[in-house]
Amino acid sequence: MSEALFRNEPVPSTPYVADGVSISLAAPLKRYSLRARTAEALETVLNVKVPQKIGATEGGIACLGPDEWLLRTAAETAMPTGAGLPVAITDIGERSICLIVEGPRAAELLMTGCPLDLDNFAVGRATRTIYETVEIIIIREGEDRFHVEVWRSFAAWLWTAFTAAASH
Amino acid sequence: MSGFRLETGGRIDRSQPVTFSFDGKTYTGFAGDSLASALLANGVMLFGRSFKYHRPRGLVAAGSEEPNALISVNRGPGRFTPNLRATGVEIHDGLKAFSQNRWPSLAMDFGAINDRLGMFFPAGFYNKTFMWPRSFWDKVYEPAIRKMAGLGDAPTAEDPDVYASTYAHCDLLIIGAGPAGIDAALGAMDTNKRIVLMDEQDELGGGALADPALWPWLERSVKALTDAANVTILTRTTAFGYYHDNFIGAVQRLTDHRPENEDTPREKLWRIRAGEVVLAQGAIERPLVFDGNDTPGVMLSSAAKVYANRYGVAVGKTPALMASHDSGWHDVFALAKAGVGISAIIDVRESVDSALMLEAERLGIPVYLNHGVVGVNGRHNVSAVDICDYGNQRVHRVNTDALLMAGGWTPSVHLWSHSKGSLKWRDELGAYVPDLPNENVVCVGGCSGDWDFGTGAVIDMLPTPKDQSRIKAFVDFQNDVTAKDIKLAVREGFRSIEHIKRYTTNGMATDQGKTSNLNGLQIASSALDKPVPDIGLTSFRPPYTPQTFGALAGHAKGALFQPTRTTNIDSWAQAHGAVFELVAQWRRARYFPKAGENMHAAVNRECVAVRSSVGIFDASTLGKIEVVGPDAAEFLNRMYTNPWKALEPGRCRYGLLLKEDGFITDDGVSARLAPDRFHLTTTTGGAARVLNMMEDYLQTEWPDLDVWLTSTTEQYAVIALQGPNARKVLEPLVEGIDLSAEAFPHMAIREGTICGIETRLFRVSFTGELGFEINVPTAYGRAVWEQLMAQGAQYDITPYGTEAMHVLRAEKGFIIVGQDTDGTVTPFDAGLDWAVGKKKPDFVGKRSMARPDIVAPGRKQLIGLLTDDPNVVLEEGAQIVADPKQPIPMTMIGHVTSSYWSEALGRSIAMALVAGGHDMTGGTLHIPMPGKTHSAKVSGVVFYDPEGARLHV
Amino acid sequence: MILIHCPYCDEKRPEIEFANAGQAHIARPLDPSGQSDAEWEAYLFIRANPRGRHHERWRHIHGCGRFFNAVRDTVTDKFETTYKAGEPRR
Repeated sequence: MSEALFRNEPVPSTPYVADGVSISLAAPLKRYSLRARTAEALETVLNVKVPQKIGATEGGIACLGPDEWLLRTAAETAMPTGAGLPVAITDIGERSICLIVEGPRAAELLMTGCPLDLDNFAVGRATRTIYETVEIIIIREGEDRFHVEVWRSFAAWLWTAFTAAASH
Repeated sequence: MSGFRLETGGRIDRSQPVTFSFDGKTYTGFAGDSLASALLANGVMLFGRSFKYHRPRGLVAAGSEEPNALISVNRGPGRFTPNLRATGVEIHDGLKAFSQNRWPSLAMDFGAINDRLGMFFPAGFYNKTFMWPRSFWDKVYEPAIRKMAGLGDAPTAEDPDVYASTYAHCDLLIIGAGPAGIDAALGAMDTNKRIVLMDEQDELGGGALADPALWPWLERSVKALTDAANVTILTRTTAFGYYHDNFIGAVQRLTDHRPENEDTPREKLWRIRAGEVVLAQGAIERPLVFDGNDTPGVMLSSAAKVYANRYGVAVGKTPALMASHDSGWHDVFALAKAGVGISAIIDVRESVDSALMLEAERLGIPVYLNHGVVGVNGRHNVSAVDICDYGNQRVHRVNTDALLMAGGWTPSVHLWSHSKGSLKWRDELGAYVPDLPNENVVCVGGCSGDWDFGTGAVIDMLPTPKDQSRIKAFVDFQNDVTAKDIKLAVREGFRSIEHIKRYTTNGMATDQGKTSNLNGLQIASSALDKPVPDIGLTSFRPPYTPQTFGALAGHAKGALFQPTRTTNIDSWAQAHGAVFELVAQWRRARYFPKAGENMHAAVNRECVAVRSSVGIFDASTLGKIEVVGPDAAEFLNRMYTNPWKALEPGRCRYGLLLKEDGFITDDGVSARLAPDRFHLTTTTGGAARVLNMMEDYLQTEWPDLDVWLTSTTEQYAVIALQGPNARKVLEPLVEGIDLSAEAFPHMAIREGTICGIETRLFRVSFTGELGFEINVPTAYGRAVWEQLMAQGAQYDITPYGTEAMHVLRAEKGFIIVGQDTDGTVTPFDAGLDWAVGKKKPDFVGKRSMARPDIVAPGRKQLIGLLTDDPNVVLEEGAQIVADPKQPIPMTMIGHVTSSYWSEALGRSIAMALVAGGHDMTGGTLHIPMPGKTHSAKVSGVVFYDPEGARLHV
Repeated sequence: MILIHCPYCDEKRPEIEFANAGQAHIARPLDPSGQSDAEWEAYLFIRANPRGRHHERWRHIHGCGRFFNAVRDTVTDKFETTYKAGEPRR
């Protein structure tokens, strides 16, 4: 078969660095949408701890809703399909990309278009929200470090919006 | 005489001269001057012409309530800003400002003839006069009126400036940084609250800036607040609107006060959510209403004090005061202290506080109690005033070069009113003050009616012995509304202030009546002989002062106007000369013209390639939903019209989705990957809508079902490979899938790899040819596309766009939901009854298919149309009639939904929705178009390969 | 922009994360084919338009994704309460 094909990313691979904040494309991740009525139902299938509270993250799993979790991992382990069980595990590894927004002005940058109060958004918390009109998922990885998941088709726009706002 | 710079005083920096121009003439001011103060210091009294009568106008105020001195600033191409208040424009070197609404010049204005003809322009004049003939309004009256009565010119060039925008959150937002606002900030500073203190002016202080005795306190306070880590100070920032749940919109002006245009944002829009709001906007002094009160040189007494104490400018050598309130006395005492000679104090009241009398006497100022101004001499500047002794009605003249008005105070309740806080009337103030809040907000200081500058009499207008019909006593300076206009409105039967306002336009100018509303109310109240609270108060609405469109748009211009979604293959299309179109938010390649080709030629070539060899198409925008769980088949069975439970894994089915009202809302081919896993597709534009609709049923009607929906639209890039050679192109690249016709029939799905990348490979066709849709993880879409292009080169593989896709599907009679349907088309209307499961007891929309209107005859139905002249391509949207000879207006029985040139058939084809269309096959219909009425035969909708032989190869 | 309390996330979130979904507590009949034309019409088309207290559905579409019910005053635009789908009318 032909040699390994190249990945085509919607944003530059070179980080954008501005005063107090940088924006960069995260390395490829595996992503799964995990759905079930309870965290326990998933724990049985995955054999890992699954956070109960909306907004909580644990071991790369973020609880986004009462029946929805997002698993992000760099590991190459195979995922169970959950076939026949009352759970839904769906591969969404390439649905979004992750932008890393980092620096003392990271929260300030996100708040240029996100209406959440990120001063009161604890490290480790994750949520789906919106930046102007584009849906994103924000995960606070550190005091000055956020992961922003955005669907691929919107990524170029979001990159332009972030870099414009960061330059101001 | 006119204004001049005082020897000392003010907060201006006399060591920093600033050169600027007004109407092309160069002037010098100092750093710290407003355009108003700098021009006043240069003796300029005439700032503009009034809106309707073109009367010469000067400064009334020193702040953002200024109604008269509207000017334009030109900062270069595309940077022309009209309707700025000269009082709020900070001068800088090179500033170019211009007066407005005058021709040919400010001093000699042709339109001033309106003033002489003023008797012909009463309230409601336009409504009464220009109603007939109706057709004259657009063409004749409106352009002429707009030329004569207007504000600054709208800019014409594109705005090159950038604008920033942000959300912000705080625990305490203080709006207005006068003494009350600053005290509120100081009081909260030592808590752990996040505090934002904003003020529209360039420095904090508000009224304290005009009171040198407070400057040491101000300096200490500003330093303390600046040093506090939890306090954010925003100057040059106007809170323009107060919205639900303590959400405040504010615009910060960042660069207009600087000499150079910069790359940094010109303004910044702040969208602030505050836990608690303190409104400290202060109060606005009220003008007095008397004949000639709009003459340049007549201004608010508080403004004269600001010009003297803040800017070191006197409004005249010998100003006089016309007061009904103590505060004016204090103002002229301050002016006297600053070295300005006061020619007279005139007060309508019969007596005032003896301390005021003593101070006037000590300063040697003549005092006229129980007097009022009844006339102003001078056209471009005050030269003298006529005052009337109300005791004996005698009028005598006082020489003066400026007249200061002190008519009391109006609390600035604008933002309070935006927030829907209630107001109460206070008789002794003659003003509305905040009553009950509707948000977590308090009003402090002047805007709550709390001030310490004494008391006054509340009057509607100064009494005068003159003939009322011969005087012009202005209430609303900006909209040229006089006391007479308001009285006329009352005489003509208007009773509510809301109606009086709209009839006279009082308070409807860009200043929203900051100086005129209360005087207008008092006059209406007197004319109606009813107390003010009984005739109400008009609403204040955002914005508090006008804001630029640029600030409100923020980043949303140019490339950021709205998100344009692009696929992974978009960059290839761009590099290969595609012409794009927007479909929903997506940018899609419409066709790929070769050198010299127009759209028609390119689309024909692309269609021929698909029918004769192989074409390649980016179908990534198709909506995709993964439906997973033990009840997945049951759920789809309830949602779609056709049966899903018996669909074998590995097979696909066309799904038709109705809304509960029985009308088609979406369609798409979906595949069963496993007993509990489906891969749905939706239309490009319907993806979000369908997912939302399915979630709605799942969450709220059938929460018992164990099934979950995940959008996978963007997980997969989708490449459609269509044409008789499609399999040959695919075969060398695919592993793990037997592509033979027997092993992989039409409407099947297989999983394997292509070029080493995992794929969900559909054998489906939207063209009628042998076809595949290759789903690969999105990041690899372009790479796989390029491999297919390379592999297909020997078959002359041809990329095609949405236009060719539309032609190819129309040749096969495949509908596009939203083009061939419009939300009122049932499966039967569309000829899709074969896709409805007759035996299913229920699915979304089934019951509605038996509604009386749905089963009634005469519904519009989808048919094919073949024009009698095969070269005529009908217009999409064209109306259809049965008999072209009927009288106009004809009865229209339907319209063309899709229409194309079909190169494969060598003729045009069309689809149409026509009432009773299914029964017309073989008949002739007529399509009237400009210049000619076309005739067409009714046919079925499948124009090409009706047996489907080309699919099953 | 109002704040809306999402009963699933149990916090107030900005309005632009939500989508309105019409009047609440209109259950799809269990047996639609057994409905008379008049009953079906009432289910499909007839909606309340009160001045004041209104029960309506919202979806935290750019958040947890859940539909829920709310009581909103149509005059003041203030939310009286929100509660999870399936809970009794308040």
